[in-house]
Amino acid sequence: MTGSSESEHAGRGATATSTPIIEARGIVKRFGGVVAVDDVSLAVAPGEIHGLVGENGAGKSTLMRVLAGVLAPNEGSVFVDGHQLDPGNTREALEAGVSLVHQELSLVPEMTVAENILLGSTPTRAGFINGRQQRRIAAEALEEIGVTVDLDEPISRLSVALRQFVEIARAVARKPQVLILDEPTATLTPAETEYLLDMLKRLASRGLAVAYISHRIPEIFAICDRVTVLRDGSLVASEAIGDLTPQSVVQHMVGRDLQLDLESRRQDPDIGDTVLSARGVRAPGVNDIDLDVRAGEIVGLGGLVGAGRTELVRAMIGADPRSGGDTLITLGGTTRRITSYRAAIAAGVAYIPEERRSDGLALTMTVVDNIALPNRSALSRAFVLQRRRIAEFATALATSVNLRPPEIEREVGQYSGGNQQKVVLAKWLGREPDVIVLDEPTRGVDVGAKVEIHRLIRELADGGAAVLVVSSDLPELLELSDTIHVVRDGRIVGVLSAAQADETAVMALASGQQEVDVA
Amino acid sequence: MTPETSEKARTRPPVAQVEEELGKKAFKLSEWMAQQGIFLFTAVLVLFAVVFIDGFASLPNLTDVFNRAAPIGIVAAGMTFVVISGNYLDLSVVAQVATAAVVLIAVTNAVGLLPAILFAIAIALVYGIVNGIAVGVFKANAVIVTLSTTFIGLGVLRWLTGGSIYFGDSDGPIRTFGTTRIGPLPLAMILFVVVTLLLSLVLTRTNFGFMVRAYGSNREATRLAGVNTPLVVIGAFTMSALGAMLGGFVLAAFSNTAVSSMSDGYDFRALAAIIVGGTSVFGGRGSVMRTLLGVVFVSVLTNIMVLSGLGFGFQQMAIGLLIVLAVSVDALARKTRVS
Amino acid sequence: MSQTQTESQQPSDERSDTATGDGIIARVRPILARRTEGRAIALLMVVWVFTLLFEPLVWTSYEVTLGRIALVGLVALGLTAVILMGELDLAVASTLAVSGVIMASFDSLVVGVLAALATGLVVGAINAFFVVVVGINSFIATLGMLFFLRGAAFVLSGEAPVRIADIDAGIAFGQSVIGPLTPRMLIFLVAFVALYIFLSHVRVGREFYAVGGNRQAARDAGIPVTRRVFTGFMISGFIASLAGVINTLERTAADPTAGSTVLLASFAAAIIGGVLLNGGRGSVFGTLIGASALGMLQVALTLSGVQVDVQNIVIGSVLLLAVITDPSSLRAAAVTARALVRGRSERQPSG
Repeated sequence: MTGSSESEHAGRGATATSTPIIEARGIVKRFGGVVAVDDVSLAVAPGEIHGLVGENGAGKSTLMRVLAGVLAPNEGSVFVDGHQLDPGNTREALEAGVSLVHQELSLVPEMTVAENILLGSTPTRAGFINGRQQRRIAAEALEEIGVTVDLDEPISRLSVALRQFVEIARAVARKPQVLILDEPTATLTPAETEYLLDMLKRLASRGLAVAYISHRIPEIFAICDRVTVLRDGSLVASEAIGDLTPQSVVQHMVGRDLQLDLESRRQDPDIGDTVLSARGVRAPGVNDIDLDVRAGEIVGLGGLVGAGRTELVRAMIGADPRSGGDTLITLGGTTRRITSYRAAIAAGVAYIPEERRSDGLALTMTVVDNIALPNRSALSRAFVLQRRRIAEFATALATSVNLRPPEIEREVGQYSGGNQQKVVLAKWLGREPDVIVLDEPTRGVDVGAKVEIHRLIRELADGGAAVLVVSSDLPELLELSDTIHVVRDGRIVGVLSAAQADETAVMALASGQQEVDVA
Repeated sequence: MTPETSEKARTRPPVAQVEEELGKKAFKLSEWMAQQGIFLFTAVLVLFAVVFIDGFASLPNLTDVFNRAAPIGIVAAGMTFVVISGNYLDLSVVAQVATAAVVLIAVTNAVGLLPAILFAIAIALVYGIVNGIAVGVFKANAVIVTLSTTFIGLGVLRWLTGGSIYFGDSDGPIRTFGTTRIGPLPLAMILFVVVTLLLSLVLTRTNFGFMVRAYGSNREATRLAGVNTPLVVIGAFTMSALGAMLGGFVLAAFSNTAVSSMSDGYDFRALAAIIVGGTSVFGGRGSVMRTLLGVVFVSVLTNIMVLSGLGFGFQQMAIGLLIVLAVSVDALARKTRVS
Repeated sequence: MSQTQTESQQPSDERSDTATGDGIIARVRPILARRTEGRAIALLMVVWVFTLLFEPLVWTSYEVTLGRIALVGLVALGLTAVILMGELDLAVASTLAVSGVIMASFDSLVVGVLAALATGLVVGAINAFFVVVVGINSFIATLGMLFFLRGAAFVLSGEAPVRIADIDAGIAFGQSVIGPLTPRMLIFLVAFVALYIFLSHVRVGREFYAVGGNRQAARDAGIPVTRRVFTGFMISGFIASLAGVINTLERTAADPTAGSTVLLASFAAAIIGGVLLNGGRGSVFGTLIGASALGMLQVALTLSGVQVDVQNIVIGSVLLLAVITDPSSLRAAAVTARALVRGRSERQPSG
């Protein structure tokens, strides 16, 4: 059914199979030794809204950035209107009419809405800014997307939602043929999301081709005409929306040869009383969280990128400031209210941060120095570091985490990701913590180290520690956790016991798929 | 937190391996220059001086070089703490050195040696705490903060002294200190060595020094390891202040006089010594012993210039250029480092 | 999930929540809240009150006062351009001195002035080179240049003030030209207007705010950041050399040690004027107000007979206060204070 691109769009079922305006063929993209996108082809027609879904790390953003000319693919090419684009040439892609709305907002906080919309393409007359034209183009762009905001308002005073809309206005102001949005609703409320979706439908009905990345099933089913599902960098499905159901999409997203190592799951863990509890914790991105972790228990926090899990744990332990709520730690019959990060550490909390390179390790220092840092009072006498004691201490810990090779005098930055993560763990183990919070403990870690780290985590729980794990790796989450709390939009939307939890259940809660069923 | 950072490891293709090898080589060269270059350069410089500069290798000249190097060296050793902590430098040493010198001589004359020393320590603490709080608690830029405390400090000093020269008692304890020798070595020289060793031990062997180095290497990781980071910064500036104080003492002891202008040039000489020695201005790398080496380099260089008839202006130009070049090498070494 | 296409509420912005319809006040308040000149205005008020009460001479000998404001303000304007981009130019003091010396080395006034101004541009370019091409932090790079140029000024001048050849021109330069306005003040006014227009109405200048406010966003938008940084430093260098020319003409001699008190005062002026060191915020008006406050303060102190050293104490203190009272510093201090006060974990009654 070739032909009109305009009418066929508005609703489910009908597919625009007219000639695509943008096409990616056989895209392969590698980063170092890792294949992020593995031979994916995609096409979007004018007036079509094409959804791109997949788990964290499936390759969606990478693919879109290749389409927009931000990244050059290792193999494959992008065609716009039949012409092949110069790979990695952002300018050319922009001029060809491909506009990408970034995931990280690319706005200058102290400049006005109008200035930001025209940033980089400010109209001038002999070098002087043509204010009138700037405002005119900005106003037109805003009108096109149906948003009202004062052109002279600085971005810093706008809500996150409005900033997102200004970012979209910037993309639209260039009068693109293709609009690519990467998780635009990650920080929006449901009402704001609805507004955005209506906007996109309007734009598509005027002939714009839209590529829409999201892992929120309800949104996909609300506006998309076709859906492409990526998994581990490969294309697993590309269908018209009418041929899909929410369940089938989720199935495509997670359906791997389930090689869950369920044998290594802890059987009958010895779980004691509540050690760590959060009551009404509030922070930017965290909305009124109550959470308990008991001694000997491993609680997993599941959810999608941007759900607020990292913000949640950091606010709980005080690593970032809280705007409300309390964290309590109960040990040996005494309950303490934790009011600062250092107090939390003193009370027996260990925190393994998400970004080990920037937050977890001093890369230019040696293994032994990194391990010694949080343990220095135990390892020094009268403020003088006891070299031998430290060396023994560090060697023992490095061995216990199976650091390979256990050269404690080597610079930590020279070790692989897996070994680095082991060092992060080792430094806290020396304190025999009662509460351990880990954020993405095996991200960027090789398979062997991953298994070892999992073993360590289980041993810690067996030893009576209360363990809280944030993970975007579903199998890992399922293999480790005794209980899984699923987080979405800064709230806990579901609690699953080990018995109840499987990938589909977690993903359904995380992506909001359950809501679609209800409707 | 973009999705593509979540990687699943697979085998590396050969091309990537070759690229990595080349990158490693470039990194190694600039890294070598930044780290080990100083030993070679110092040796070459000294050799050059001995061979080509008349009068360099004579005992009176070498003694003079050591005498001038000692106070600067002590100041630089103390300031190394600030540089290693990643806070650029402490410009206020200029004010502090002169203040300590004046306090030593003037208060000893008026009241006695011990009160003078106590008073000087108190002043050093004030400098350390004010600088430390502004930079560590208010997170203000160290260059501007110490610039302002320099002006305040020098202003106070000049106002109170009126620029006058103070003379120590000709048979007072200060004179004795300044003229005593143990064997061929002046006492001040020995003090210099002792202080440098002590500070080096503090930096490498104590809790505090450890925290300073860790903070300089990665602020956030150090904070998340439970360290009280504002205190670390205050401590670093206090070490710098104590170093400046001792340097001022030694400076006063040599001539048994003190005047507010005697510390001219201490800011850039100390900074040059530290950076040339291999301590990175970005923080985390370096040591007091390296600063010692840097002091040797800068002192010999200055001496070469003096013996060649080049005045203060040329020296300043040369050292300013040296600072910029040394930091450039360091910056390039960092760029080629695979991050 | 509803699929209605009508009536979706547009997300509200913060303003509509706070406006309680009091007309002018409600509309003006948010504009005032985001201005950065507050501290400068406060300081200016304090200085006004102080001078009116204790040193009214500042007001009556307004030529002196305006002249001082003009010099401090001129250098501060150059600094503003650089700070807006998130960088710093510490070398201005010695750029000023070196330019003056170079100008005095030529017999021909015109050639001397041109050479001096060219020096400023070259220094600016070198600074920018080290900052964006080599990748050294601008604090250290310009600090090194400060030392280097100070030395150069000494060497070129033979460590003594250098008289200019055309002394009459120098004297004439110090005379009022239009009303009470001397050439120095006129140059400042022209520079102020020019920089204001540049930063507000010329695209290249406006992009300075982007380079300082969110450098990555600026790059993504296609703004040539490297070129902008070069432009900024060259403006600062040029203005510093201009100040050197003015200084030298008026004193009919080039002083190689010139510039240090001006440096202190102009930094204080720019920073208290609200130009944030992180970049992206601030205005030349703030700098003007800051320069006025500091210029008046300096003149008041001089006329009261306060020695230079004490003046340095005062101005140094103003700079210190300015740099620890900017919004991000106060916020950081609040976090530390809160952790200190509530630091210990508190026991709860078990239950």
